[in-house]
Amino acid sequence: MSLAPGETRADRFVREIAELKIPDPAAGRPRLWLRVGVVLMIGGVVLAVAAYLVSHRTTSSLTQGDAVTIGLGGVTVSVVGAALFIRYSLTSFLRFWLARQSFDLAMLGDRLTGERTDT
Amino acid sequence: MIELIDIRAGYDGIAVLHGVRLQVAAGRILALLGPNGAGKSTTLRVAAGALRPTSGTLVLGGRDVTGADPRDLARAGVCLIPEGRGVFPNLTVRDNLLMMTFTGRGRSEIEEIAYARFPVLGRRRTQAAGTLSGGEQQMLALARALATDPAVLLIDELSMGLAPVILTKLYEHVAEIARSGVAVLAVEQNASAILRIADDAAVLVRGRVERHGPADDILRGELSALYLGSSR
Repeated sequence: MSLAPGETRADRFVREIAELKIPDPAAGRPRLWLRVGVVLMIGGVVLAVAAYLVSHRTTSSLTQGDAVTIGLGGVTVSVVGAALFIRYSLTSFLRFWLARQSFDLAMLGDRLTGERTDT
Repeated sequence: MIELIDIRAGYDGIAVLHGVRLQVAAGRILALLGPNGAGKSTTLRVAAGALRPTSGTLVLGGRDVTGADPRDLARAGVCLIPEGRGVFPNLTVRDNLLMMTFTGRGRSEIEEIAYARFPVLGRRRTQAAGTLSGGEQQMLALARALATDPAVLLIDELSMGLAPVILTKLYEHVAEIARSGVAVLAVEQNASAILRIADDAAVLVRGRVERHGPADDILRGELSALYLGSSR
């Protein structure tokens, strides 16, 4: 924030811009992550149900052991998917809510001032 | 200080800007003029980093910052005053100013800067911003911008809803801010008001810069023709 000795505001700006870390545009893809979350959530549930059915239809304890492992894996995948979905859908929702709130406040302000303009 | 090179941008696949080239040096004011729908506000959004161009380059301080987070650009010193003043109407003048403490400046310092430049805000510090007159709200918007210690100031339609006499005073403040070394890019429909203080001007028509040059030349030249679309 402070200027180095002999530095102008423009110099500081150039320095700060030079130090700026510009993120890779591919890093933040909320829509993609949202879709991944939905796929994982559904896929995990399908995996868990399939594992249950496999274990239910066999008397082999080895197969049942495998099915339990797959089932738990499915539940874990589903939980991770749900977390991703909530994270990215909540962000979109809150962003929309904030925009809506700002718009409402601006409208209220205009109403209170009776569309006042300087005369 | 700030340079837009062949910027193409739009919304949801609809192109608004078709290769815009502009540059503003430190301490200078560039007036961006043009009719409604020309893409003036979109140009400002690109310059502030709020809208990523589909192609082209945004250069700040000699560095390509296309795609940089607008918050990082704001922290570095790019400040956008949006159309419609952008103040929080239900917060007091003081609270509006203190929103700018994110820059790291102290509360008292921010208030000192704002009230020194706009004494009327000091007298109204406990008043809700929504109850200020249009001119005072614009003063508050400018004061908030000053509190960020901007290096690049982007102003969208300062004249909206203001009487000419108030606008002239506000633009005198903008000219003073520019003289302190700030690069100012001001979008304006009220061409005569901004051209009195601007060093350079550009006329944007349908997403293309039709004319770019010294403000005096634009003022004397074919401004009305460019606005109205007639040709010689």
